[in-house]
Amino acid sequence: MTTFIVRRLLQAVAALALVSFLVFAFLWLLPGGPQQAMLSGAASANHLHQLRHDYGLGNPAVLAYLSWLGQVLHGNLGYSYVENASVGSMLAASLPRTLALMITATAIGLAVAIPAGLAQAIRRDAATDRVARALSYVGYGMPSFFLGSILILIFAVRLHWFGAEGPQSAGIAGVLTDWRDLTLPVLTLAVATVAIFARYVRSAAIDSLAHDYVRTARAVGSGRRQVLTKHVLRNSLIPVITLAGLSIPRILAGALVVESLFNIQGMGWRLWQAAQKHDFPVLLGFILVIGAGAVVGSLLADVGYMLADPRVRFRER
Amino acid sequence: MRRGLQRHGISGGQGRPEATRRRRPAALTGGLLALALAAAGCASAGSASPGKPTAGGTATYALPPNTTPNYIFPLSPGVYFSVVNSSNLQLLMYRPLYWFGTANGLPYLNEQLSLAYRPVYRKHTVTIRLKKYQWSNGEKVDAKDVVFWMNMLTAVTKISSSSVNWGGYVPHEFPSNVLSVKAIGAYKVQMKIKGSFSRQWFTDNELSQITPMPLAWDVTTTGKSDCAVRTTNCIAVFKYLDAQSKSTSTWVHSRLWSVVDGPWQLTGLNSQGLLTFSFNKEYSGPVPPAHIATFKELPFTSEEAEYNVLAAGGRNPLDVGYLPTVDAPVPPPGRAVGANPVHGYRLQPLYQWGLSYFPYNFASSDPQLPIISQVYFRHALQLLENQAAIIQGPLHGYGHVSTGPVGSFPRTRYLSPQAGKGDPYPYDPVAARQLLKTHGWTVNPTGVTICRHPGTGPTNCGKGVRAGAQMKFTLYYATGQTWLESALLQLKSNAAQIGIEIDLIPKTFNGVLGVVENGSGCPAGGCPWELADWGVGWSYVPDYLPTGDELFQTGSFGNTGLYSNRVNDNLIKQTLNSSNIKLMWNWQNYLTKQLPVVYQPDAPSALVESINSLHIGTQNPTLAINPEDWYFIR
Repeated sequence: MTTFIVRRLLQAVAALALVSFLVFAFLWLLPGGPQQAMLSGAASANHLHQLRHDYGLGNPAVLAYLSWLGQVLHGNLGYSYVENASVGSMLAASLPRTLALMITATAIGLAVAIPAGLAQAIRRDAATDRVARALSYVGYGMPSFFLGSILILIFAVRLHWFGAEGPQSAGIAGVLTDWRDLTLPVLTLAVATVAIFARYVRSAAIDSLAHDYVRTARAVGSGRRQVLTKHVLRNSLIPVITLAGLSIPRILAGALVVESLFNIQGMGWRLWQAAQKHDFPVLLGFILVIGAGAVVGSLLADVGYMLADPRVRFRER
Repeated sequence: MRRGLQRHGISGGQGRPEATRRRRPAALTGGLLALALAAAGCASAGSASPGKPTAGGTATYALPPNTTPNYIFPLSPGVYFSVVNSSNLQLLMYRPLYWFGTANGLPYLNEQLSLAYRPVYRKHTVTIRLKKYQWSNGEKVDAKDVVFWMNMLTAVTKISSSSVNWGGYVPHEFPSNVLSVKAIGAYKVQMKIKGSFSRQWFTDNELSQITPMPLAWDVTTTGKSDCAVRTTNCIAVFKYLDAQSKSTSTWVHSRLWSVVDGPWQLTGLNSQGLLTFSFNKEYSGPVPPAHIATFKELPFTSEEAEYNVLAAGGRNPLDVGYLPTVDAPVPPPGRAVGANPVHGYRLQPLYQWGLSYFPYNFASSDPQLPIISQVYFRHALQLLENQAAIIQGPLHGYGHVSTGPVGSFPRTRYLSPQAGKGDPYPYDPVAARQLLKTHGWTVNPTGVTICRHPGTGPTNCGKGVRAGAQMKFTLYYATGQTWLESALLQLKSNAAQIGIEIDLIPKTFNGVLGVVENGSGCPAGGCPWELADWGVGWSYVPDYLPTGDELFQTGSFGNTGLYSNRVNDNLIKQTLNSSNIKLMWNWQNYLTKQLPVVYQPDAPSALVESINSLHIGTQNPTLAINPEDWYFIR
């Protein structure tokens, strides 16, 4: 197992290096070259001098890359001349609220989807399964801006139960404790999560229920609960773990539509704004973080997969 | 003088880009502007709501979507010359020498709110006498502070004769047209001006740019400096202040920016961009006895988000916000606004003092230049621009017809009686078709209209137009403004009826500006465009007198289409040399017939919603706001 994790970690480091290289290479593809692109039109002699100094942009590409990587590794992701703020500070302002929002929505979504999917599999093609499947289709197909708007109209404008905008407090703790403002955006995001994961769990559980090991477990007298939790659920979670791991970049990238609708200055909204304003330092810095998240997510999925499935551990040996 | 293109944020609803108050042509980026509600006068301004004014309280105000201030120093470089930086930040704390926007909502000099009395001219000399204002640190706002600004302006525009360092800069004008500046007393400044000039123009478009600066700002990284006395060290001071101004996280506790002569001090700014202002108790200007004590500007990620908060109300309602155009109720005939969909609020459209238009490209590299150069063609295309239908349709009944090169709303004395009569080119496709036919074109409603009779005679296509030339044009437009996209689709459809093919090419706001200014993405010969619409036209701020020198004169920096007409230039020159209003009327009546641009409806900058319990007075068409005049009513 240790060998497996070490090997995956090394692969992750290589992948991160590749991500950083690609991000840096994008700079040379941008209109006006890396210097103009990073200054986003706010060029002045001082700015250019500072940029060359910080990123070694006057050097050959490899040296410039290493210089830039050194800055990144020291936490300097660049400076937005559009917003007059460091990319790091913008990330620090956006990432916590996006994480709070997305992780909460994903956790709630999983908490509902896993038992729901399992129940659907057990009662396959029964009325409850059919209703749940129909709801799942609706949840999956409903655009988040539409669902969010409906929820706001009913629960914020009409009933005044919840706020019409997301939490405006700084930091994860402030966001998480503001349940009144957190509820509607989380609900909007969770609906799609439930719809997606429930379908995966249902499908995997149906598959598991047909396997010999389930029949064997039943034959040796294992109880219904034990069969479902120890054999069916565990095997059904394998695709869910994979999907959850691969969702990490999505979590980091935020949900543009929900953030925009609920007045949350999160990662998705920031990225969109940066794209609109040609604010390349922000785009690159955020993409680098999201890329790193993708690598870490993949690593976590692999580890989780191995923990859930002994065959993987066996093969790795 | 600011070329209209300010990027002020646009107001709610219109979804305009964030506005930058640039003097570049087009500049207005976006703007939303702030809803600037402002009461230009004091408590007496505007319609008072019934009830008893109450002192104190906090008023919350919605910033335009996706917009937060990012530059605090009022001598702002071009890239930071925006409505949100100016109206929503700088003007609240640092007052200009002359304030524009009267109590009845007109863009004229407001002597009551100005820091100085009306300037006195004698031949080539102007004398400015300051009132007795003071800075929040106890120092007087005096002649040295005016000279400080002038010295810095002179220095920074010398090292870059463009708007790079001062967004309001117009080449060859202020301060290039000032020979000398000196304090001739503690509260008196005297300037000697080059050449002949109109006094009103100099006041409204040149002196209007001045913002006195406190001596506390006369510093560099190494300590105290002397820019208020001589220009030698002004660049170093500017660089220091510029760097400090960009450091947004240090604004609140800065020893520089806390020295204000305006009614507000910045006391809070969080990572989301929420700004908190507290009333400056040392403010020496006029304020009503009861007014709010705290003013908060709230950022929003989208106009939908803002509208949701506005509509939801609840425990902490938004006091001043805006209504997206898509949610705007169509006004019944004869009314300015329709039934307000937001309960407990008052709806008031806010129109910016500016001009709504989009230019033709008269650059010699444009292959369609021979056609565009024909006045009859421009006349025909203007007849296809159905301004009334755009106002009633995409703008939901909120808008005003543009009648010529001077803004038609608010109605000012600058608008000629002829232009005041309404749209000189009402929608008339039959007349447009006839114009083309009588000039040698074969009109093909199912295809493209073609020149059949080239030549320069009265029934020919005109100079340079070849036989077989086709009526095909590209029109770049800025995405993000729903009404604009609908309006241009309508124009495309109208033009197609007589075989004029318009290829609409969407771009971002900055993308359109890049095209018209031949930015980095354009080929060496220039970008291939015949028409370009960034959607927000031109703003007459801080150059409030709508002379044509910045927008239509040959070679002027706002003249993005490179229009050139000697008669027009001479008429403009006359408006700059004399304050006789009839000269301005002569010029605009002439240029209205020349159609150097396509005039389009003037859309509201914002459909402002203010809660009934808050009195906000009259809105200022310059988009400045005066929350020191606001008060809650109990």
